[in-house]
Amino acid sequence: MPPPTSRSADWLAQAAAVFAKEWRCELRTRYALNTLALFAVTTLVVVSAGLGPLGTSAAEGTPVLPVLLWLILLFAAAAGLPRGFVQEEETHTATALRLAATPSALFCGKLLYGASLMLALEALVAPLFLALVQLEVAAPGLFAATLLAGGYGLAAASTLIAAMIAQARGRSALFAVLAFPITLPLLLLVVELTRNAVAGEPAGGALTQLLLYDATVTVASMMLFPVVWNP
Amino acid sequence: MPAASLRFTGLRRRFGRLAVLEGVSGAVAEGEALLVTGPNGSGKSTLLRCLAGLLAPDAGTVELTEDGRLLDAAGRRRSVGYVAPDLAFYEELTASENLAFFGRLRGAPPARGQELLARLGLPAERQAGALSSGMRQRLRWVWALLHRPRLLLLDEPFQNLDAGGEAAARALLAEHLAAGGLAVVANPSPLELGRAAPHLALG
Amino acid sequence: MKSRFAPAFKLLLWAWMCLVLAGAFFYAPLAAGFLGESSRILFFHVPMAWTAFVAFLAAAVWSGLYLARREPRHDRAAAAAVELGFVFCLLATVTGAMWARTMWGAFWNWDPRQVSIVLVLIFYGAYLALRGAVEDREKRARLGAVYALLGLVVAPFFFWVVPRITFSLHPDSIVNTRGTIDMESRMLQVLLASWVGFNALFFWLHGLRCRLGALADRRLEA
Repeated sequence: MPPPTSRSADWLAQAAAVFAKEWRCELRTRYALNTLALFAVTTLVVVSAGLGPLGTSAAEGTPVLPVLLWLILLFAAAAGLPRGFVQEEETHTATALRLAATPSALFCGKLLYGASLMLALEALVAPLFLALVQLEVAAPGLFAATLLAGGYGLAAASTLIAAMIAQARGRSALFAVLAFPITLPLLLLVVELTRNAVAGEPAGGALTQLLLYDATVTVASMMLFPVVWNP
Repeated sequence: MPAASLRFTGLRRRFGRLAVLEGVSGAVAEGEALLVTGPNGSGKSTLLRCLAGLLAPDAGTVELTEDGRLLDAAGRRRSVGYVAPDLAFYEELTASENLAFFGRLRGAPPARGQELLARLGLPAERQAGALSSGMRQRLRWVWALLHRPRLLLLDEPFQNLDAGGEAAARALLAEHLAAGGLAVVANPSPLELGRAAPHLALG
Repeated sequence: MKSRFAPAFKLLLWAWMCLVLAGAFFYAPLAAGFLGESSRILFFHVPMAWTAFVAFLAAAVWSGLYLARREPRHDRAAAAAVELGFVFCLLATVTGAMWARTMWGAFWNWDPRQVSIVLVLIFYGAYLALRGAVEDREKRARLGAVYALLGLVVAPFFFWVVPRITFSLHPDSIVNTRGTIDMESRMLQVLLASWVGFNALFFWLHGLRCRLGALADRRLEA
């Protein structure tokens, strides 16, 4: 009997392979990108159309606008991110993955894919939003940092929850129900930070807390994912 | 070469009120293929999933020993070669891209996948979604053998294969067993495996 | 709790809670700064809110135990804790809102404790929705346990974040920053007695629910 080849590649190689596979498949169908973009742009147009004719003054509108931006991003994420795991279960490719991949490496690859999708979405939505509602950001550095950290945090929480609901019934509704309590601290933090960025005020402790949230959710998800994924 | 062996005892699994496995036991030694037969719904696939570590039994144990080490469920999952009707691959990727991906996960060299594709006569550059059901079955065989597993778990392995495909698959199975590998083969009706094989009848 | 003490315990608990009720309305004085008789609700609202938070912690602990040992009884205990916690939480929210209406004129006031208890309520609802959506018993237990632990991990962030978005109308903390207990002694006695009573009630009901769950599982396996 020939000596057995190693049964798994090293962790980093596996995570990279998963990330590459996700993007290769996505670029061939462009399903998630289209869904996210279409959803986000439609919501954006509705929001700005709703605000525009009312002639909301800058003073009235400004406190509300950051909330709207993050609501758009949140719902777009809920529409587009769960697919990462739901599709694996629906097309039955999950069985092959369960047997071939180390769970934590798989999760890392999927997480980075989700995060990159979120960042691409934000790159599209944020400038459009600012333009459509005519909002000026006094501290663009803080704004960008918030988008980065917030987008990553949403992806981190969403990836684990997506893995959970992929194995349950009533998937899309259940995703929103489960994701809301978990992502609420993140949402509160990013809205506050965005308001500060618009007004040009310092971040205070909020940015640190956001980064801490990101780190905590990442670690917790990595540890809990193998339990969700395998019996 | 240190021994590999499989033993499972008292496996029970129910789904809701339905008891599918009720105390199933068996053993497979090196070079042996255990044949599992039974009518539809008798638990053949459930048994194979439990052995593969895809399903946790409600009771009972599975002991797969390789190179003197007992593997836990995670070890079993990574180690076994599994062929089953519900195993699917990424439709948007070609056969060889699918294998390249899984090969990267398994640490198997790309040449291995190409060699197996050639042996089973699969068009490497066709998208997996465009393969006929017989071709998909061949791809499942290739995938299962990619990492040179010691234990093969085969659920209806010759389903959809034409004469050429079945001959190639049987040859691979024979080579695997001759080299000291183990196999558990599940099929609704008894299969001729070319050697005296222990038989477990479910249901 | 099938020991021979069980009937005695039940009777004791019943008697205790009757005493608490009587004490709340006849023994304890009214609190200063509260409208009319409304401070009496304190003796029920506070212990129930406390119990709702305790249930959350208990569910997380049992979930962790389940994941470590995979024993069905731990999963039953976690699910029972959430079910009961949900009820206590709902009652706490409602009594809180009723009291808020009396005192401040509105059912909802963006007070941090109000917000917190509603968040726990939403979390419980989500947990129960998850359990309802999974048919396989083993998977249901696993996923439920993961969600409970995820909730526990995220919970501390609420302590930091919630105060930033709310302002407090809640009466001064009973244990205030000086660490002393700032309450008239008879009120404190009734409150503590009620706290003990509600905790006992929770764990007694929890035990019953676990036994019910065990019986249901056993019948399924028969």
